[in-house]
Amino acid sequence: MFRCVLTAAAFVLFAGGTSVHAQKQTIGAPPEASNMKLVGTNDLQGRSAYQPTIHHQGDRWIAYIGHHGGTDDVPDPVNPMTGKAEPNGTSIIDVTDPAHPKYLRHLPGQEGKYESGGAQMVRVCDGKTLPKADPNAVYMLRTFGSEAHEIWNVADPVNPVLITRLGGLKDTHKSWWECDTGIAYLVSGAPDWRTRRMTQIYDLSDPAHPQKIRDFGLPGQEPGSTGAVPTELHGPISTGPNGNRVYFGYGTNKGGILQIVDREKLLTGPKEPTADNLRFPEISRLPMSAFNGAHTTFPMLDMPVAEFAEDKDGKTRDIVMIVDEAILNECGEARQMVWFADVTTETRPMMISSYTVPEASGHFCQRGGRFGSHSSNESMAPVYYKKMAFIAFFNAGVRALDIRDPYHPKEVGYFIPAITQATDKRCIPVEGGERCKVAIQTNNVETDDRGYIYIVDRANTGLHILELTGAARAVAGLPKP
Amino acid sequence: MRRAATLVVAVIALGASGVGAYQLAPSSVPLSAHWRETAWPFPRDGWPAGRAFRCEGGGCDGAELYVRAKRGFCNCERGVADDDEVDRVADIDLITPRFSATAPGEVVRVGEMHGRARRYDLAHDGASRAAVGVALSRRCDLFVAAVQGRGDAGAMQHAALVFLETREMKTWVTAALDGN
Repeated sequence: MFRCVLTAAAFVLFAGGTSVHAQKQTIGAPPEASNMKLVGTNDLQGRSAYQPTIHHQGDRWIAYIGHHGGTDDVPDPVNPMTGKAEPNGTSIIDVTDPAHPKYLRHLPGQEGKYESGGAQMVRVCDGKTLPKADPNAVYMLRTFGSEAHEIWNVADPVNPVLITRLGGLKDTHKSWWECDTGIAYLVSGAPDWRTRRMTQIYDLSDPAHPQKIRDFGLPGQEPGSTGAVPTELHGPISTGPNGNRVYFGYGTNKGGILQIVDREKLLTGPKEPTADNLRFPEISRLPMSAFNGAHTTFPMLDMPVAEFAEDKDGKTRDIVMIVDEAILNECGEARQMVWFADVTTETRPMMISSYTVPEASGHFCQRGGRFGSHSSNESMAPVYYKKMAFIAFFNAGVRALDIRDPYHPKEVGYFIPAITQATDKRCIPVEGGERCKVAIQTNNVETDDRGYIYIVDRANTGLHILELTGAARAVAGLPKP
Repeated sequence: MRRAATLVVAVIALGASGVGAYQLAPSSVPLSAHWRETAWPFPRDGWPAGRAFRCEGGGCDGAELYVRAKRGFCNCERGVADDDEVDRVADIDLITPRFSATAPGEVVRVGEMHGRARRYDLAHDGASRAAVGVALSRRCDLFVAAVQGRGDAGAMQHAALVFLETREMKTWVTAALDGN
């Protein structure tokens, strides 16, 4: 009997020990993974990272990675290639061999810390696809801190050349650029608008000569309006002239709105920013709970749903995946997660399912930093489009979802990188001071046409290049490695 | 002399009248004004509920004050940047979605927090009312206050800011911004 009690006590102690281990990441501990495998890494010079964009450039694959500003401890990390302290900007990395990424260039951004500096956003288009551009050029559109959008020619990614700057703005952020038309939906704060972020639409088909088309936002945000100001924009995604829709996401972690807009009416309709003119191109809105925002609104139109295959109607559905952004450390807010909306009947969009990482699966509220979703991959390359989605989930790493039945999304893999000496702390206020913990903060994710998955860390841990294994690989229809 | 003594007694009595009743500092606002806590009157939204108070007596008599913390809602470096930000965040829209600013705002300070205050006309239940929105920042977090009533907006603003400077309120504000 006594022996049984001892055994039970030992089991409880052991279980407690592993639980504590799971709550805290330690340097030297291996990554946590299921059906995802690490292929290569780069430390990104210890810079806090936001948007990665992977571009097939000639016979090379180049990763352009936007950065937030520096930290209180290291406002301007040293670029070992120049030996100089440089404000965070854009990292340019050759990932042709994903097992051995080669850092090519750091292009400094705006001086400033955290969200106030850096060059968070980046999109890339080939000159040969833009209607009026230099066909030999490759154009990188990026934000410059909060105050400008810039276009660089990165045909030689080691030596980018500045082409255009659109300045005098505030709170620039997550823009979208149609590479086949050149139409760009630039997220900015125009000085006279009542919201921190709205859309400035430009024709960038000739990046050297930007043509302003119009400003756009929700009625109540325009100059001269009064009363309550609707939730600010986070970012749009356009389906281009073929789909003729732009899906705007408003809000980050509160009061989210999915707005479905007729692209043609948006671009050719009356442009004066009056309430009526702003309403004109709108097809519908899906207001979300006050608890959640819409960081990313990723359209997946005309999806065949196997469950509905025998139905007389509605065999295919138009789906928009909405990803919220967690803002506060250690679960200091309502859970931010992933939502799927069926927008097949466009004027009656409806939320149909959701996904979150189970907190108890890793005691993520105790690990430190943010826990919750932030962003998804935005590549529409066939390798994963309408089959799998990858969600950056801060201290829960990246999550691979089988979305073939968007009414029942299912997690099929995950990867939580190991922390390193470079991983920055995350703190919360406590009585008389603050308490800090160190945890991975997987911030953004993107995929390339080959099927590699690129995740970057907000807490300075760098870039991790991953591939699927096991059952997750089968979901995507990828061959066995 | 006798009047002064009465005032002192009144001040002591108000000061000892418990949670939710607070004496105002001297200025244009009469000393007899105090704030009594009431129930938070608004439905649930994205932010946790705050606290509500009604002014009794003095130049803010009848005014209602709503205060709450909004954590993670502020530019960590820049703080409350402009009047548009006050329009967006100060909870005036909880009272009514139809409001218009009457003038540019002004810089205000409560304890260690800096921010801006702005005055508004409200279109509310067919009656004209004045309101003041206050937005203050502490690092990446906001503390907001909205005061509304039929009285003078300047007097309401002054009374509200003095009230927020009391020890009890400063202690609560710190705790609310800490997430407690």
